Amino acid sequence: MAEREVLLEVKNLKKYFKVDKGIIRRNIKYVKAVDDISFKIYKGETLGLVGESGCGKSTTGRTIIRLYDVTDGEVIFDGAEIGQMSEHELKPFRKRIQMIFQDPYASLNTRMTVSDIIGEPLDIHGLASGDNRQEKIFELLERVGLSKMHASRYPHEFSGGQRQRIGIARALAVNPDFIICDEPISALDVSIQAQVVNMLEDLQTEFGLTYLFIAHDLSMVKHISDRIGVMYLGKMAEIAGSNELYEKPLHPYTQALLSAIPIPDPEVTRAKQRIILEGDVPSPINPPSGCRFRTRCIYAFDKCKEIEPELKEVSPEHFVACHLMDEKV
Amino acid sequence: MSEKLLDVKDLYTSFYTHLGEVQAIRGVSFHLNRGEALGIVGESGSGKSVTSLSVMKLLQHPGKVKSGQIIFKGEDIVPKSNKEMMAIRGDQIAMIFQDPMTSLNPVYTIGNQIMEAVIKHQGLSKTDARAKAIEMLTLVGIPSPDQRVDNFPHEFSGGMRQRAMIAIALSCQPDLLIADEPTTALDVTIQAQILELLKELKDKVNTAIILITHDLGVVADVCSRIVVMYGGLIMEEGSAEDVFYNPSHPYTMGLIKSIPRLDLNEKHRLIPIPGTPPDLLNPPTGCPFATRCPYAMQVCIKELPKFYTTNEGHRAACWLLDPEAPTVETTGGVKRGGK
Repeated sequence: MAEREVLLEVKNLKKYFKVDKGIIRRNIKYVKAVDDISFKIYKGETLGLVGESGCGKSTTGRTIIRLYDVTDGEVIFDGAEIGQMSEHELKPFRKRIQMIFQDPYASLNTRMTVSDIIGEPLDIHGLASGDNRQEKIFELLERVGLSKMHASRYPHEFSGGQRQRIGIARALAVNPDFIICDEPISALDVSIQAQVVNMLEDLQTEFGLTYLFIAHDLSMVKHISDRIGVMYLGKMAEIAGSNELYEKPLHPYTQALLSAIPIPDPEVTRAKQRIILEGDVPSPINPPSGCRFRTRCIYAFDKCKEIEPELKEVSPEHFVACHLMDEKV
Repeated sequence: MSEKLLDVKDLYTSFYTHLGEVQAIRGVSFHLNRGEALGIVGESGSGKSVTSLSVMKLLQHPGKVKSGQIIFKGEDIVPKSNKEMMAIRGDQIAMIFQDPMTSLNPVYTIGNQIMEAVIKHQGLSKTDARAKAIEMLTLVGIPSPDQRVDNFPHEFSGGMRQRAMIAIALSCQPDLLIADEPTTALDVTIQAQILELLKELKDKVNTAIILITHDLGVVADVCSRIVVMYGGLIMEEGSAEDVFYNPSHPYTMGLIKSIPRLDLNEKHRLIPIPGTPPDLLNPPTGCPFATRCPYAMQVCIKELPKFYTTNEGHRAACWLLDPEAPTVETTGGVKRGGK
């Protein structure tokens, strides 16, 4: 495979949240939401990030775009380290990285018209004004399947799917290179999800966009992504090409996650061998020692308790963090 | 032929809001046999949850059953008073909801909440009820149930709360369990645990289940028969095999085509259903799906289609199935044998 250009590289990224207790707000513990993860995103590809609630996938997205400050580690975007930049230095990069949020009801200002919502990023970055601005807004609305007449309306006049389109138009307004999609379709009805996913795919081809697609719906992530990263309790468990990941999942957690998904086909899903995991995800305040998955893993042995497995490349472009890979069991 | 446990006949339910009458359900009929698992599939606003609330008689003001019959074990429950319903609810019909945190009472222990049901309906003493509570928690797979019985809901995780809800629901061995999106708020690995539990308990306790969900994968896994709802009406009804492999209604076909399959590898484009669902404040006179249907004809917009039976136990409300309709090449449904 030809050498591909890396657009974003995350190196040993950590994001800890303080947990305060008592009236003097003594800081006692940290929630290690993202704990030392590294990955690359190539130009023009879609990297899917999956995992269960609390695994740190959304925190990863929000830390990359600097909605959260980085606790430790590097975020390298197009050669520049943006993880520690000041807000002022960051401004040109804000234009190049955009985000689409999960909840189309909470992510649009209810007191602004659609035209103002989409126009705001244009004003902030001084990209267009006057007639030019209006024209650009109409153009964006049409691009996402809405029309000119929607421009003067308010968000409450739209359905969930239409609001998500407005959110996408706002993200596209500044001609970004990279869009972080944080559960963009989870709040939408099944028949509307496919509309939005198809549109995201079209926009990617048209504008040469790179996506980080965060979701818990593995079927949809597999559909849209070129590569998928699986997270568990703040750690990256496995990264591989999406077909490879489905056909040859190596991490016991990935195997369980894939087997847990019901397939919309009665005969196939009933014949499916399920790995039912015991218990729940442990608390990220006090994660298990060694491998974080060991408390629910059916293969766990002594080493898993003592040493934390590193993310290693076991076959080309297939990374796994599991001691079983060394044992070759 | 097994005995009918529940027979819903021509049910109309509306909400009388200040904007006008929202016709949430517009003539729904279906039945459920003893020990059977029926899936009701639909999007938000299709009327699937209102159907279940009507059966439970839990509709809140301004909702009202306008007409129709709900025959449970040979008796129509629509005219029953709230007091009469309280003897049935929890005892013979139980329900579990989407969000286990808001449906459990935060100030009572889990044990107390199970005991409440068995003391009321089965007249057990407190000691016996406590033993029953521990037995139920064991049944649904809560670890160390004799200690957990004294925990409060906030001490349980999401999956455990849903297990506790199932324990409460099944404590009186109901004939019917209505599960309204029981796994939507849960993670997939926990969802797999709960679905496995429901399937296991259905056989063990011989409870009939109505599973309401928007997830086609979940119904394919659990249910033997499926009802597809849209715009307050039933679009199609049939065995799981009929509905998935041989759908007769364009809406069902559209739904199946619009979701990606995890187990198939070809990189194909999804085929979305264009448009948005109808507004039930002013429901269309014709088929509610007509405006989004690729095969819509003149008659579809004017008149509501009746049901056409395509084979034993499989029916769909679509004008295309009328003998006078032109034959169109429809594509849809899951190809048997996966790839």
